[in-house]
Amino acid sequence: MGGASRGERKRRQEAAAQRLAAAGIQVPEKRSNPALMIVIAVVVVAVLVGGVVLYMRNSSSGAAVAPTYTATASGAVVTAGTGKAVIDVYEDFLCPNCEIFEKAYGNEIVSALNEGKLTVRYHSIAILDSRSTPPGYSTRAANAALCAVPAGIYPTYHQKLFANQPSEGSAGLTDAQLVQLGTELGAKGDFAACVTGAKNAAAVTAETNKAIADPALQTNGQFGTPTVVANGAMVDLNNTGWLKAIIG
Amino acid sequence: MSRAHVLDLVGTLARLGLAAVWLVSGTLKAIDLDQTVVAVRAYDVLPRAAVDVVAAVLPFLEIALGLLLLLGIGTRLVAVASGVLLLIFIAGVTQAWARGLAIDCGCFGGGGAVAPGATAYVQEIVRDVGFLALAAWLVVRPHTLLSMDARLTAGRT
Repeated sequence: MGGASRGERKRRQEAAAQRLAAAGIQVPEKRSNPALMIVIAVVVVAVLVGGVVLYMRNSSSGAAVAPTYTATASGAVVTAGTGKAVIDVYEDFLCPNCEIFEKAYGNEIVSALNEGKLTVRYHSIAILDSRSTPPGYSTRAANAALCAVPAGIYPTYHQKLFANQPSEGSAGLTDAQLVQLGTELGAKGDFAACVTGAKNAAAVTAETNKAIADPALQTNGQFGTPTVVANGAMVDLNNTGWLKAIIG
Repeated sequence: MSRAHVLDLVGTLARLGLAAVWLVSGTLKAIDLDQTVVAVRAYDVLPRAAVDVVAAVLPFLEIALGLLLLLGIGTRLVAVASGVLLLIFIAGVTQAWARGLAIDCGCFGGGGAVAPGATAYVQEIVRDVGFLALAAWLVVRPHTLLSMDARLTAGRT
C-alpha cells in the first residue's frame, strides 16, 4: 500500500513539474541559504577573536604568585622589596582600573619583588571615598593595608584586597571583614584595633592630597589611579612590556 | 517613486544607520578593552570571570553585526540579533537604574561608575529604543537597496 502511494505521488509531482516547465515557469531548487552561512561564519569569527583577546589578556593572570618579599611603611607609603629598579605605584583599593592593573601585572611585579630585582613604593591613595555607600571604603581599605605592614602580612593582604575588591557604589568590605581577612593571613599584633581605629586614615588623606596636587602625576591635568612612576616619569601602562623595560 | 521604492529607501537608511551604530560602538569598545571591562563590571550583574568574557567578545560581536548590516547580508537575521542585543542592553541599564547604581552605560566606549547626579539613564534608554526601532523595521521589512542579500537571492536558481 505505502509503496504504491509513494509511487503515485512521485508520478504526480513529475507531471506537475512538466506542466510548469511547459508553461515556462522555473521552480527554484531548495538550497541552504548562503546569507545564513555567512552570518554564522562572521559571528563565529567575531567570537573567536574575542576568545583570543581574552586569552592574551588573561595569560599573565593565573593563580596569584605567593609573595616572599618584605615591606616597611612610612606614613602612607609602603616600600616593598629591595631591588635596584624602583617604581612608585599609586593605587586606590576601590578603583576598578587598579584591579585590572593588578590582574594584568600583579604576578609579574610580585615575582620581580621576590627575586630582589625590584623595589615598589606603594602609595596608599583614597580618591574614591565617595564611590561607596556609605562613603569611605577607599580610606578604610588603605588604612587596613597600612595596618597589615606591622602585622607582617602586607604582601598577601594587598593581593587579597584586590582579589576581593567590592563594586563601586556598594558598601565595600566592612571593618570586620577587613580584620577577618588579615586574621586569616596570620596578622601579628593588634591588627584589629589598627583597622577599626583608622590609625592611618590621616596619613592616607595627606598622601592622597599630595598626589592630587603633584603636576608630575597628572594626565590631562587630572590625577588618577593606577599611576606608575619610574625614573621620574609616568609609565605608559598600555605598553605591556613596561616592567621588563624598567628592570632591564 | 512607488511606495515600495520609498519603503526600500527607508529600510536602507535604517540598515546603514544601525550598521554605523554597531561599527562605532564596537570599535570604541575594542580600542580600550580595560575600560570595557570597567563598564561591564559596573552593571554589577555578572561574576568577575564572566565580565572578562563579555568585555572581550562584545566589541567584536558588535563590529560583526555592523559589517553584516553594512553589506546587507542576512539582514532580517542580523536585525533580530541586533534587537535581542539592544533589549539586553536596555535591561542592563534599567536594572542599574532600578537598583540605584550610578553608572555610565558605556554604550559608546567609556562607562563605569559616575557621580550619583551624573547618570543619564533616560537618554540612554531612549537612544537604545531608537536603535531598536531601526532593528524592528528591518525585521518586519528586510528588503533594502544596495544589499548583498539581493545578489545572493538573485544568484539562486
